Amino acid sequence: MYRYDEFDHAFVAQRVSQFRDQVERRLTGEISEDAFKPLRLMNGVYLQLHAYMLRVAVPYGTLNSRQMRKLAHIARTYDRGYGHFTTRQNIQYNWPALKDMPAILEELAEVEMHAIQTSGNCIRNVTADHFAGAAADEVADPRPYAEILRQWSSVHPEFSFLPRKFKIAVTASERDRAAIQVHDIGLQLKKDEEGRLGFAVWIGGGQGRTPILAKKVKDFLPEADLLSYVTAIMRVYNLHGRRDNKYKARIKILVHETGVETLSAEIEAEWSHLKDGELKLPAADIAAINAYFAPKALDSRAEGWAELAAWKKSDPDFASWVGRNVAPHRHPDYGMVTISLKPIGGIPGDASADQMDAVARLAEEFGHDEIRVTHEQNLVLPHVALADLEPLYRALLAEGLATANAGLITDIIACPGLDYCALANARSIPVAQEISSRFGDPARQAEIGDLKIKISGCINACGHHHVGHIGILGVEKKGAELYQISLGGSGDENASIGQITGRGFEPDQVTDAIETIVDTYLAQRTGTAETFIECYRRIGAVPFKAALYGSEAQAA
Amino acid sequence: MTVIWTKHGIVENDPWIAGDAEKAPKLLSLADALAHAQDNAPFGVVLQPADDVMALAPILGQVAIIALSFPAFSDGRGFSQAALLRQRLGYSGELRAVGIVLLDQVPLMLRTGFDSFEVSHAPTIARLKDNRLPGIDLHYQPSADRTEAGQSYSWRRTAIVNG
Repeated sequence: MYRYDEFDHAFVAQRVSQFRDQVERRLTGEISEDAFKPLRLMNGVYLQLHAYMLRVAVPYGTLNSRQMRKLAHIARTYDRGYGHFTTRQNIQYNWPALKDMPAILEELAEVEMHAIQTSGNCIRNVTADHFAGAAADEVADPRPYAEILRQWSSVHPEFSFLPRKFKIAVTASERDRAAIQVHDIGLQLKKDEEGRLGFAVWIGGGQGRTPILAKKVKDFLPEADLLSYVTAIMRVYNLHGRRDNKYKARIKILVHETGVETLSAEIEAEWSHLKDGELKLPAADIAAINAYFAPKALDSRAEGWAELAAWKKSDPDFASWVGRNVAPHRHPDYGMVTISLKPIGGIPGDASADQMDAVARLAEEFGHDEIRVTHEQNLVLPHVALADLEPLYRALLAEGLATANAGLITDIIACPGLDYCALANARSIPVAQEISSRFGDPARQAEIGDLKIKISGCINACGHHHVGHIGILGVEKKGAELYQISLGGSGDENASIGQITGRGFEPDQVTDAIETIVDTYLAQRTGTAETFIECYRRIGAVPFKAALYGSEAQAA
Repeated sequence: MTVIWTKHGIVENDPWIAGDAEKAPKLLSLADALAHAQDNAPFGVVLQPADDVMALAPILGQVAIIALSFPAFSDGRGFSQAALLRQRLGYSGELRAVGIVLLDQVPLMLRTGFDSFEVSHAPTIARLKDNRLPGIDLHYQPSADRTEAGQSYSWRRTAIVNG
């Protein structure tokens, strides 16, 4: 993984003192709260319902054990002993004091971490496929390019006061695990006919109030042109994106209102002035960043095949954990292990300080010191020998981290909702907990199969409900919480926006409604091989609406 | 109080204070500047965020000063306008930020090519007078200001001391 050099260390140290000075000036009243707000947001500090919140960047979701131990230490020392992993591969702390923020940032800097641009109307932390560098199906590791973008976008003088936040995601395989089509810029690393690396470029995807899938503006952008082309996009957006209405300020609205052809012509025109300038990436620099991400030298561990078969035979729980939570690695003797942060009835994405320490220890022992945070709010050990799976599983079990539900109905994404968030209209966490408890039986989950439920507590859609196979959106109606359900969303390479089923459900009816939807799927599917989303795409919304609303559905 | 600040300090008796019609009779809007470009008297131009800076291309040689307006500190269009003026059009005259100019934006403005600032916010004026800017002198991207390259990767720059 990337290691800071002197320049990076000095930069982060200066950024911390800059923020310390800003906090001091806020406390003396030299800066108004209005003017301070974008400054603190650009350093990840939110003011939530009950307290300040600090969102720490985990660039492209990659961590080592030392960093994870520091995150545990911060949770223990400055918070209430836990942290919350987010849908943008970051971690947030819900209870730190404003006065402690500079100290926390100094602690983070010790392990090459920061909170830069985890919020605010700037280029946010760049995300990537959580299986990068390990997946069998990737063209190349996308993280070096995410790292180049991270560096280039850090405290960018031209793009720190954009019309609205700006999110970039990078993937490197046809199978999109980074949800690039719902990002402001989505980059798919690929090769051309001559085997040269470059990107398919998508712009204007996003969720929120107006969910829109991204449009492809470039089929193949040579890797050397990455920064110049992204700069052209940013400049056109900064100058022309709407600033009159924050709900219409994302680039997706500019793309929609201008038309993708006109806008991409403007981007091309801007790019023509930039492409051969100082932003052109020298091959040596690309190679130097790539070197930090050189594939791990993995020893042959062929003994794992027979051992794994025997362990699975003797322990069905272990077998089902392997079946759900271990994915094939490009090395046949290894697997990519998902550590579920979705215990049955638990809070999606939360981890205690002790659990973080345990993951750090296990990553050292079994995982070549590498940890990933996924946008689905789980953790991953990307390089585990099959021969080590059984002891790893035992250790995870002891920490409450061996829930065998990756990709199943209880692997729910949920935003913090009204329990924490100042923007929320409704609670998300209790809804997730109740659904998780109702469907917690392993046999029942297995029978239902792949199913993604995503819950947001307001229209800002941090819980990605628009791309949930089943999406749940909490709204406020006449002072009470109400939940709208949508069906058929997807955030992968076959991305789609879910469609609302009809009138919303009161809090105590939501889980019943989910059960009705699931039962309808089970009754309608052609067999166990047809997943929920495939079934929905075949039969459409009508049978689900009929089951949910009965005769009302015809009337509506 | 409104002052003009540059890297050399506070400017006394500046003739171009945008907010003052008496002192700045010749700080023209984009449309007026284009219409009066044939006049020999020196004039300046003040652009609003929605103005197209490229329209100034034909008259850049006659303009004594360009001011870019920040009607709100959160409106960042002026940063791109400045970058285009400096890097695309090669404008080398005075480039002034006017409107809501606050301390924490000044380092970013300097980097995108501004070299003078019309400031009314008292705490900002105090810090500028002391020359205590809250900037970072290591940069991950090239920009319009004078910096040094050669910092291990092509996109990195460092500030030039007293530059």
